[in-house]
Formats: sequence, structure tokens, C-alpha cells
Amino acid sequence: MKVDRRSFLSFVIGGAAGTALSPLPWKLMDDSSIWSQMWPWTPVPPDGEVVYEDSTCTLCPGGCGISVRKVDNRAVKIEGKQGHPINDGGICILGLSGLQMLYGPTRVKSPMKRIGERGDGQWQKISWDEAIAILTEKLIDIRDKGEAHTVAAIAGSDSGTVPALIQRFMTAYGSPNFMRTPSGRDADELAVNTLFGNQGRTGFDVENADYILSFGSGIVDGWGSPVRMFRASSLWKDKKTTVVQVEPRLSNSAAKATRWVPVNPGTEADLALGIAAVMVSRNMIDTGAVSGLSSWKSDLLANYATEKVSQTTGVAAEVIAELAKGFAGANRPLALCGRGKAQTAGSLRDIAAVYALNALAGNINQEGGMWPIPEADYIQWRDVATDNLASAGLSQPRIDGAGAGKYAQTRYLASRLADAVNGNGPYPLQVLLVASANPCHDLPDTQRVKEAFARIPFIVSFSSFHDETAAMADLLMPDHVYLERYEDVPVDAGLTQQMIGLSRPVVSPQFNTRHLGETLISAAKAMGEPMADAFPWDDYETCLEETLAEKWDTLMEDGVWVQADIDPVGDRLQLAGMDADAVQAEGDVNSFPLLLLPYDTIRLTSGYIGEAPFMIKTVADTVIKGNDGFVEVNPQTARAAGLGQGDMATLTTPRGEAQVRVHLFEGIQPGVLAMARGLGHTAYDAFLAGKGVNINTLIGPVEDPSSGHDAAWGIRATLSKA
Amino acid sequence: MSTLDEKAKEGMDDHATHGSDGKQSGAGGFIILFFIIGFAASMVLGWVIFPKLLYSQKQQPFSFNHALHVEEVDDGCESCHFFREDGSFSGTPKLAQCTECHEEPMGDTEDEAIFVEQYVTMEREVPWLSYSRQPDCVFFSHAAHVIGAKMDCVVCHGHIGESEESRPYEYNRITTYSRDIWGHNIAGFAKNSWDRMKMDDCARCHKEAGVIHTSSVQTERDACFVCHK
Amino acid sequence: MKNEHNDNPPVMKFGMAIDLDKCTGCGACMVACMSENNIPFKEDESDKLVSITWMRIFKLSNGKSFPDTDICYLPRPCQHCEGHGGHSPCVSVCPATATDYSRETGIVSQIVTRCFGCRYCMGACPYHARYFNWWDPVWPDGMEKYLSPNVSPRMRGVVEKCSFCFHRYQLAKNKAYLDGERRVPEEAYQTACTQACPAGAIVFGDLNNPEHQVHQIVKPDPKHGGRSQNPRAFRLLERLGTNTKVYYLSSREWVRRSGDNYLEHEKTGQASQPHH
Repeated sequence: MKVDRRSFLSFVIGGAAGTALSPLPWKLMDDSSIWSQMWPWTPVPPDGEVVYEDSTCTLCPGGCGISVRKVDNRAVKIEGKQGHPINDGGICILGLSGLQMLYGPTRVKSPMKRIGERGDGQWQKISWDEAIAILTEKLIDIRDKGEAHTVAAIAGSDSGTVPALIQRFMTAYGSPNFMRTPSGRDADELAVNTLFGNQGRTGFDVENADYILSFGSGIVDGWGSPVRMFRASSLWKDKKTTVVQVEPRLSNSAAKATRWVPVNPGTEADLALGIAAVMVSRNMIDTGAVSGLSSWKSDLLANYATEKVSQTTGVAAEVIAELAKGFAGANRPLALCGRGKAQTAGSLRDIAAVYALNALAGNINQEGGMWPIPEADYIQWRDVATDNLASAGLSQPRIDGAGAGKYAQTRYLASRLADAVNGNGPYPLQVLLVASANPCHDLPDTQRVKEAFARIPFIVSFSSFHDETAAMADLLMPDHVYLERYEDVPVDAGLTQQMIGLSRPVVSPQFNTRHLGETLISAAKAMGEPMADAFPWDDYETCLEETLAEKWDTLMEDGVWVQADIDPVGDRLQLAGMDADAVQAEGDVNSFPLLLLPYDTIRLTSGYIGEAPFMIKTVADTVIKGNDGFVEVNPQTARAAGLGQGDMATLTTPRGEAQVRVHLFEGIQPGVLAMARGLGHTAYDAFLAGKGVNINTLIGPVEDPSSGHDAAWGIRATLSKA
Repeated sequence: MSTLDEKAKEGMDDHATHGSDGKQSGAGGFIILFFIIGFAASMVLGWVIFPKLLYSQKQQPFSFNHALHVEEVDDGCESCHFFREDGSFSGTPKLAQCTECHEEPMGDTEDEAIFVEQYVTMEREVPWLSYSRQPDCVFFSHAAHVIGAKMDCVVCHGHIGESEESRPYEYNRITTYSRDIWGHNIAGFAKNSWDRMKMDDCARCHKEAGVIHTSSVQTERDACFVCHK
Repeated sequence: MKNEHNDNPPVMKFGMAIDLDKCTGCGACMVACMSENNIPFKEDESDKLVSITWMRIFKLSNGKSFPDTDICYLPRPCQHCEGHGGHSPCVSVCPATATDYSRETGIVSQIVTRCFGCRYCMGACPYHARYFNWWDPVWPDGMEKYLSPNVSPRMRGVVEKCSFCFHRYQLAKNKAYLDGERRVPEEAYQTACTQACPAGAIVFGDLNNPEHQVHQIVKPDPKHGGRSQNPRAFRLLERLGTNTKVYYLSSREWVRRSGDNYLEHEKTGQASQPHH
């Protein structure tokens, strides 16, 4: 039998007929189309029981309540907690992005020690026991040599049990060098102390005010407790409250205001005092809550005559008069200050001028007014028994110069840390502990800060993330992120109540991390007496529960503890602090004819948390394009420099230089440039690193003569075609 | 089919008679034979071998006796497969539910021993393989069918409640879906309402039950966003 | 049609009113949407033509020079056009029946598994509300843990867009069945952006239901293609006849005027004159 061509064809035809009559082609077609619709590599999120767990967000000082949606053990969405006194269901862009931080690739997944050169990013995973041993051996060694004061700690906050544990650790150890990263709180605390004569902070009853005069405060850009302020802003719209925004640039807050009053950069206090002078001269004031007016009056009227103020601020004389009339004539006027998110301390003069304005309008401790109130004082631990080594260390001056000499009233001066370490301090630092802070990105003059960090022989980072400061560290002892831990969250941020939120674990720790409170307690115990004696708790949770005492049950039940009726720390404002000269921008006006201002936006973070991928995704292509950052320029200024939209330019300041793109913006005064704060990260992941310019590399601290605080609001600059 | 075959045969015969060589007249038979061989081979391939290649099998972690459990519980299927407070359906029970009764072995079967030793004691969820898991793009509302339309579980799930052991889990190698979605008949024939769970089956049942809506502008039937997500 | 048993559920028209006087441009709605709907992200998202954001905030300017400049933010979800009888621009051109208009809810659906990526709908959409997946989504190791099972992640080669969080309606319906309710209560079905907005600028609900807040704000006029009777309200490119279900509110005339392409002599809100 020969298989010829015809037989073969017949076989094929038979095969084809049979195939067509079998399910094979039809089923394959169906299956392959299904396959192509649902590629096996597209993730299929597992379904399960949905539960909501409530906690408190700690990504910013705002203190919002959150509800985390979980599917079985996975957290899948963060939402605002309904009925919470601060945010009542609302939530900000950062709070919404929290899960990208929890599950993100930039987590420090285990304790690690550096094995390569500093900044090389070469780490070796170690056990927690080993990490504690490395830390405590180092610390004991230094302490035994009587050099306890050469150990410093820098943290993002000084309130709540965890910062209190750090402070207690430093005290028991014998170092005066606990520092809080700079923010508007510094100047606020100083102003309350100076003007009301007591420790405390201000609260602003924004919801009940009926005329808001904001001196550059980013009401909807992240100032205060951001979600509270968003809600207040909408409430004002409903109530038709007048909102005046005094600011050199048309920020989102200015755009939302009833009226935007452009002002020359850095002259906000002059305008405030100019308005005060009009009010005083026309007797539109309430003297009930002001002391020292009679002696100040003539100075005020002489130095802040309307014409003169108009000259300084660039605000027309009739506008100044209108503002004075509107503010003084309102039922419940309220003036706010702290530029943008108030991320730098600012000068005492800036803040005192605005607080004085509030006092002259008679709103101190009034509905819709300003309330100087005490911090919630719930941490009542017995005093640390210091031994001789500790006492010797504690008697040394602080490395940043705060609390002594001309800065006697100042508590922290972290902005001077770099300078002190780079040779202008009283002694060299041997160890720096960094917690919930990222000074290598967030402190002004980043190059100098990095230089200083390179000089510190041993740096320990407690960061949960591979941030810029962790990159400079020798030992990483990663903290849980907020969704994995218990923590009390005292909220100040301009609230008129005392409020404590509770963060609690929503998911179990994802990696081999440890609660910072736990790390400190176990380190102290490992160091033996007298350190161990100062930390009598078995673990952090015991410490927290004991500390919160009767508040614990409320917090476990409601997630938040609120004390509404608080005795203010003062009811009369002593006029002071306003005779200092205005702080000028650094740089020579001839070599640097332009002014560069940092601006804040809620879409970028402040503080030590780097932006999550979702946040960066929302950033406009006129802020970042590819890796290029933009600088906002008035078209007139750009034209003069021969620059157009999107052009590459070289931006130079006395502190540094950067390549930037030009974004033409009519909402900025000619001669002024603005750049977003919070970009230009070098650490983290590819979703964040390398995007834009860190404005802190272009700007340096300018000391407030009254306090030593960093009062820089901008820097002189030039912009030329690249 | 037969007429076609005959026509083909005629055509071939026709052609053969015109040939000059007598040997070729016998070739017609071969040609038919080859046709039949090809036909038969592809039929065997399509109907018998193909399903074996297309589907792969996995065993459940251990065998589960539904019949026994149904006898023991009070509420029938809903004792273990219930609606959660939010209206979602719990589906396969979690370990926590099972341990309410099975902290210790209750019987003496080998399967229960495996369950208690390997899962209850170790606090591990049982990785059950779900026979009726729909693709990820499907949103199936048990509430609409069981509460709304008061349908019985059997309509879609068959008599699984009477099964005494777990049958092997079969899945499609190409789509990775459970075989139960397409049904066990490779040609897609379904005798019972629970034999197939494709979109057409949903549509057929909806049509039979008279719940065809005309909300879709494209199809004048039910809108896509009823069962899809 | 002969099979129709006339038991069509109540006709709803889900829609939104976004108060641009309150919107601060903070971006919470964008991220709430991304997080709710498993929207992927890439290393570089600055090319906005290929950056998937079902909800996107646009920045409008009055075009005046300093210091008379004014800006306003405008959040743009899918506008869920009804057109005439549900023939919205995208539904009309879809050759795959992948996008559909539901007369029951008024929602324009997108079934990604049905879509074969021809992108006609993207060309047809006047609002750029549709996005093409040029790449497969990739979540960094570990991050896929936060993906929600309520929304199916998409693959390369398909178009996606805002669904008014339809899955939330599905889930709310489940709950309504359990509670023996025929209709989903107003508060039980809210989109992720509405829920998140810290300024409370978005109101969502059934435009057909006089008890819903959105109806009370918008006061749609059924005789005039759903035009709002609220003098502050406008819709985007209203004169195209897309009959959208997202209404914007602003007390500023220049903002309302930005909502359409008016000729110089035309008044804001004036219907365009047909050519003769």
C-alpha cells in the first residue's frame, strides 16, 4: 500500500472534518480568548470577609481618625473615620496613600548594619539582639568615658509617649541633646511664652470666626490639621465668611479666599502691624486683653504709618485701610500666620505681630478667636534618678545652643545642628539617634547637613523607610509603621481642644521591625542600672496603658479622647517681640536680583514621610516632568531672561544651584520665583527618587535674632537660560 | 454527513474511471480509508484525548463529607455557607468557623485527623479548591439569587450537599478556571441547571425566569454592569 | 423585546454635583479613586497622556495677569453621558459591546475583559475620561497585597475609566437584599471620591430621586435635556448634547464660561445657534 498524494490529502480532509466535528477547535477558541482576557500574570486579589478597623493617622500632625478596610488579613483601603471630631469621614491625599507605605518596597525590613562605605547602601541583616547589643555597647562605652553629652537625638515630635521615652532615655543617659525638627510650633510656643508668660500653644477657633485674615497660612495647603482646615474652608463658603489671604503668590489657599492680597515677600508682619496701626489710630480696638499698649502705641504709629507700610508691603494704602476696617468691624475676626504648612519656625516678630492683631481685635479666648492653651499633660512618670555620669552630661551646654544665652527661651534649634557639628559647636558629636525625622532631606542647606552627618561617627536610624537619613546611618533599627503599632497621638495643630488619638495595629507587622518604644525600653534594660531603673515597664504596651490610665478605656473604645473646656494659659497679651528688624532673605540683591520662595502643596508631603507613588501621580506636569522640577516664574520675569514655558534654566542662590524647567505662572509677582517643597529625594524608590529639586539644597537657615529659630522665608536668586 | 460522503466518493470514483491505469481503480478504496482514518483519528483526538490534555487535576487537601455535616447541623447549607452582615456571601468557611466544633477530632476518620493535625493545630487555613469560583471579572450576588429570587443552592451547585467525599478538582490548563464553569461535558452540553456556569447559562436562566431587563442600550438586555466588575 | 416582563427596576440616574467653590484641588479624590479601583502606577507618571487617572483634577485659569489672576480646580470623573436615549459618544462607537449605557442606573459601564483595545471610545469621548493600558500593571513586590477584590485589575491593551464605583452599588444592593429593602439608600451608595473629599465638594446620588441631595442641588430639567435649573450650575461642553450627569457649581462667571467653547459674543450658558 502506497501512501500517495491523494491518500494523504484524503487523510487531511478526513482529519479536518473530524476536527471540525469535535469540540477541539471551538473549545480552544473559547479558552484562548478567555486566556487573553485574563492573563495569568494579572493579579487576582483574593476575596474574603470585609472588616473595618479604626485607628489614628500619624503621617502628619493633623490627627485624623481613619477606618481601614480589610479583606481577611489584608488592608486594602484607608478611609476617613465617620464622626471623628477632626475629620468626620474626610481624609487627605497622604492619609489615603498609607497602604503604599505599609506594603511598599522602601520599608526597612529588618535591623541592619552598614557594611560598605556610608551612603553606598550596602547593608547586612542582623538580629534584633545584635542590633541592641551594637547600640548599647557603643552608648555604654561613651557614657563610661564621661562623654554622655556627645550623644544627640533628633525626632519629629516631642509630645506623646514615644518622644517622651526618647527624651527620658537621653536624660537617664546624661545628654541634654534632644532636638525636635523645626516647624511653626517652635515659634508658636515661644510666642505664647513671650506674650502670655506661660508654656502653651495656640488654638484657633476657625469654625466660629466670621472674618479670616490669613498671613500666608496655607489654609487648604496643609496648614494646621489639614482635613479640619479643608472642612473649615467649606464651612466658610456655606456661611459666606470673608477670608482674606495675604501672600506673594496665588496659592490654592489664596485662590479659595474671598480676597487675595498680594504682598511683597517677607513683609507679612509689616502689613499686620500696619493694620494694627490703623486700628489703633482710629480707635477700632479692644484693649481688654492687651497689656503694654500705651508704651507701644507711639512706636507703632510712627513706624507703621499706612503710607510707609504700603511702600514696604506693596499693598495699596486704601487696601490696608479696608482690611483694618473689615477685620476690626467683624463680629468674630481671626488672624492666622505661619507660611504655607508652617514647616519652618519663622521669626518671633512675624508671629507676635499677628497674635497682637488678634488681641487688639479682642478675640483672645473668645468664640471664633485665638486660645493660648496648655498641652495635654498626661505623661506623669516619676522623675529619672540621674547618676553622676548623667548629671555631668546634662550640665553641659546643648550642642545647638538652645536654652542658654541669647536663646534662653528657645527649646530646640535643630536648624543649627549642621553648623554645630561642622565645627561651630561646643563639642563634637559621637552618636546621633534619628526618629521620625529625615534631616538629610528636610533641613535647610542639605549639603551642609550631609557634610555634618558625614562627620558624626555613629548614626542610628529608627526610620521605617530607606530615607535619605537612613542612607547616612550605620545602624538601622526600623520602627513599625503606624498601621502596625499602638501609639498615643496628642494632637495640637491649632485645635482649641486637647485631643489624643490612638493608633492601633490594623495589621500584624509585615517585616522584622520593632516598635521604637519597645526598642528604647529593651536598650535601656540592656544597659543595666541606672538606665534600666528609669524604664520599669515590661514592654511598650504596658507603658502606654499605665500612662494613659483612665483615658485608656476611652481611647480603646472611641479611638480619641477630647477635653473641650480647658483653662487658657493666659488671657492678656503682653505686647512684645515686634521691635526686632524684619528678617531679610539671604543674598546680595545686586548679584541675585530675584527672590526664590518655597511653596507648600497638600499633594506633596511635609515632614519625614516621602511621597507615595499615588501622590506623585497626582502632581501636575508643570511641577515635575520626567525627573525635571519646575520653578514658577511670572511671564514678565521669564521674558526678561529670555525664557519660555518648559525651558531649562539654571537657578542659582547663594547656597546652591539647580537645573530646573520654567513654568510660566501669572499668579506670582514679577521678580519672584516659587518652587514646591518636598521633592528632590535621593533615597526611597524609583517612584520618588530623582524627581524634581529639593529646595532645601538651595536655601539656608537665616537666624531670627530674637530666638535663633530659622526664619528664612526665601532666598535671593538668579535664573538664566541653561 | 452521509450524503456528503457519498458525493465525495462519487466524485473520486468518477475521477478514477477516467484514469488509464487499472491499478488506480483500487486507489479509491484507499482514499476513503485514509479519509476515515483521518476522520476517526481527529474525532478520537477531539473527543477523548483533548479533554484529557486540556484539564489537569488536583486533589483537595483532604476529603470532605458534606452529607455527614448536613446531617449534623441545624440549618442545612446556611449553617456553614451563610450571608455576612454586609450582605456578602461567606462561601467556603474559614478555619475559625470549623474550629468552633473541631477543636478536637469529633470522629475517627483519617480526613478529620489530617484536618485537626495539619490545620487546626497549626492554625493554618485549609487551601480548599473552589469548584465553582467564577473569573475575577464576574460579580455574582448570592443575595440577589438566594434572598431576592429565593433560589435553592442546588440550582447552581447541584447535589454537592449529598456528596460523601471530595471529588478531584479539575481545572483548565489554558484559562486556569475550574472545569465546573464549562461543565464536564467537553461539548458543553448540560442536562441539569448546575452542569455549566458560563455567562450564557446565566442568561438562559434569567430568560426562563422571565427576568430579562432591557436596561442595556447596546443589547436591549441586562446591562453588563450587573454581573461584571 | 417580546420576552420583556416589564419588571424593569426603578429608573435611576446616578450623578454628581461638584462644587468648584469648595474644591481645593487637594487631590484626595484622585487618590481615593486610585486606591479604591486598583489603578496601577508607573515610575514616571508625568506624561499625562498615558497616566491613568479615572478622576483627574484640571487647573483652570482666568488668563489675567498678575495680580488679577484667578485659578480654579475642576475634578473630572467620567461624565456618564446619556446623550439621547443612552447613546453616549463612547457607547455609540464601541464595536465590542465593551462599553454600555444602563437605563437602570444611568451609568456608562466598561467591561475590560470584553474590550479589545481599538480605542474608538477614547477618540469619541469629549472629556478625555478614558484611558488605555499601554502596559501591564506591575505592583512592586508586596504592594499587590492592598489590591481590592471588588474591582478586577486590568491588563495591557484595554481601555478603562471611572465607573461611579459601580462595585459599591453592587455591594450596597447585597445589603439591601439582606435587609429586605427594595432600593439602595442614598448613603449606602457613595463613590470613593465623594466619601474622601475633605472639603465635602462632591455630592453624589440619584438625579431622578427628589429626596436625594444631588437632585435638590442640581434640579435637573427633563424638558431641556437634563439642564440644571440652578444658576450656579453648568456641565462640561453642555452644548454638544452629551447630556452628562456630572454637574459643576461655581459662583464665578469665568469658571462657568470655561465649561464650554463660547464664541465671543455668546453669553455664558447660552445655547449655541444652529447654522442655517
